[in-house]
Amino acid sequence: MIAKRLTCLLLLGLSACSTTEEQVVELLEQMAANPVDSPAYQQSIDELAAIGRPAARQLIARLNPDLYLGENYREFRDEQEKLRIGCARALGHIKPRGATAALKDRITTAYTDRERIACLWAMGQVGYVQAGVDAAKVQLDDEDPIIRIHAAIALLKMDDELGTSEIEAALASSDPELAQAALQGLEESGYFGVPLLVELSGRAGPHQAALRSVIAKVKDQLVAQLEAEEPVHRQRAAQALGYIGDEGAAAALADLLEDPSNQVRFSTAAALATMGRSQGIEFLFEALRNTDSILRANAVKFLTNVQQQSGAVEAQLIAALGDEDPLSRAGAAQVLGQARVQSALSALLAATADEVADVRANAAIALGHIGGDQSRAQLEKLRHDSDATVSYYAEWALGQLGSS
Amino acid sequence: MQNAICLLFVLLALPPFAAPSRAGETPETLLIRQALANDISGYRRADTELALKAYHPHFVAYQGHANGDPRAWTVLHENRDAFASQLAEDLSAQRYEVTRTVPFIAVRATHAIATSVDSGRVVDRQTSKATPVVIHRFWTFLKEEDDWLATGMVADLGDTLLPAAGTPANGEIAELLQRESQAWEAGSGILGFFDANFTGYEALGAFKPASYKIAFSGSEELEKWLDKRLPYVQYDLDRKVLHTAIGPNGDEALAVTHEKVAVEHVKGPAKHHKERYVFWTLSRRSGSWKVTNMVFDLGLELSD
Repeated sequence: MIAKRLTCLLLLGLSACSTTEEQVVELLEQMAANPVDSPAYQQSIDELAAIGRPAARQLIARLNPDLYLGENYREFRDEQEKLRIGCARALGHIKPRGATAALKDRITTAYTDRERIACLWAMGQVGYVQAGVDAAKVQLDDEDPIIRIHAAIALLKMDDELGTSEIEAALASSDPELAQAALQGLEESGYFGVPLLVELSGRAGPHQAALRSVIAKVKDQLVAQLEAEEPVHRQRAAQALGYIGDEGAAAALADLLEDPSNQVRFSTAAALATMGRSQGIEFLFEALRNTDSILRANAVKFLTNVQQQSGAVEAQLIAALGDEDPLSRAGAAQVLGQARVQSALSALLAATADEVADVRANAAIALGHIGGDQSRAQLEKLRHDSDATVSYYAEWALGQLGSS
Repeated sequence: MQNAICLLFVLLALPPFAAPSRAGETPETLLIRQALANDISGYRRADTELALKAYHPHFVAYQGHANGDPRAWTVLHENRDAFASQLAEDLSAQRYEVTRTVPFIAVRATHAIATSVDSGRVVDRQTSKATPVVIHRFWTFLKEEDDWLATGMVADLGDTLLPAAGTPANGEIAELLQRESQAWEAGSGILGFFDANFTGYEALGAFKPASYKIAFSGSEELEKWLDKRLPYVQYDLDRKVLHTAIGPNGDEALAVTHEKVAVEHVKGPAKHHKERYVFWTLSRRSGSWKVTNMVFDLGLELSD
């Protein structure tokens, strides 16, 4: 009985496999039979993408020129091109990690520009794979700027900034095709492209309105991503929203301050703090006072980022040097040093006389980071501190100041 | 003493004139190299039997006339026996002091192709007159059981395209090739024109065999392709026969055609089309003419 059921299940499974394969074959024939970018061609890509991973193996196989021999022979190069472009685009939607190995081999000059662009696009969509990054970097030296811009965008989507200058050049050029590719690529790059987008939108140039429009679209994508299943997406989306600094996202961000993931909560708080929102600032200062050293380390890291990015917490940090809680005073000194806040110099000098050794040590380190001759005399005194750690860091900080 | 005996066994086990191993070699390419090494050893030792070990009973030799353009090629020997007679004659009249390199081998399932370059000198046994030689050859192979056997060879293959007028088409061959093109348009009966051991090649717009890719290894593979292809496309073929050559007994032939081939798809309006040169070899050993080799997309424009 059990054997019978197992056989039935196996047969059902096999028939399902064959149906999917046949469905893919039919859609590939539709792809071959219609001009690239025609509605029917696009429909075949959409339907293959909807099948998803079960279709990926057949799609990856069709990138390989050696497949078009034997029973899969196609005698027309433009027919192969159509299939290669369409399969790459469908794979870009499905995003199977394993596709990059086949895609990266089709971005060289042995293939048509349309094939190369489709494969570069798909590589970017699949995301970071070291072999893909290495292959895309090579294409940054291509003589055709349209290939270079697509390689740069693919790299950006793989979290590599090597192509940034190519994107800047495309947006500064008078070639509308290049600018359009750059704008579209930045829009598709999601949180990876946000720092560059924000920077570019702040500069004078011919595409400022378009860049602002892209930022608005990306912001909407990011707000939606705050509910993503993967914590890394929620975290990166929160971070990117902090970069954009649009107050409209604050309410959605505030919900994530209760996220189960530490990194998401801190990134969210940092984003809110960058916008000057008290919820975020309070969250980070609260963590600075926490007895859990991991939470304190996170607070220092994120407060440093916020201060460097926006200067939004400068006054609170200086005030925190006078806080009752020594953990808060020590943490604030750390952040002020790492963010090299010059205006905190006198408050830090005062902190070198703190009754708690940990605060004195962190104040000495901060003075070393900030530099300047004004702290030399105080640090010389600290060299003879009763606490060995304090005297050690006073010595280190003096070394940072150099000889008088 | 024992070591010396062991070494002797190892040396005896080594193949004569074994080629040094290369990157990318497979067991199949090594076996093909071995077959070609046996052949040239046979020439050097004047050993007909050794040379013929690597030849298929249906072996056909073609004469390339030092031209890369098959419109200049003719049929030299129609079977292994005819080739063997000539070989025995050559070996008794001449001494071959030649070495062979095999720069290219491609394998697909049970079919393979290779090119060889023989260089050295041929010495007339009576007059001792030595003639320096460099001979380029193109080979086709078929694997039977565990042996790779040569089924065809183009002797004196040219590595450039020289003028080639082409011989006026033989009526029988031309008519066969036209019927074959009609079968494509009808979408049926195509397979009947092909030998079971047919090999199809894609020349990718070049003329040198070293650029060929084997597209079909046998008519079974062709049939599988036709089953997949024909439900989705309609072929349109306009073929012109440019050259034919038939062997002395009328059993083997070759041809070159120029054709406009186009397909219309069932599932959409796209049309794909191109013009191409095709090289054919044909055989009548089964009673009726069958295509034994077919090279698509030959790049012959330079000699037009």
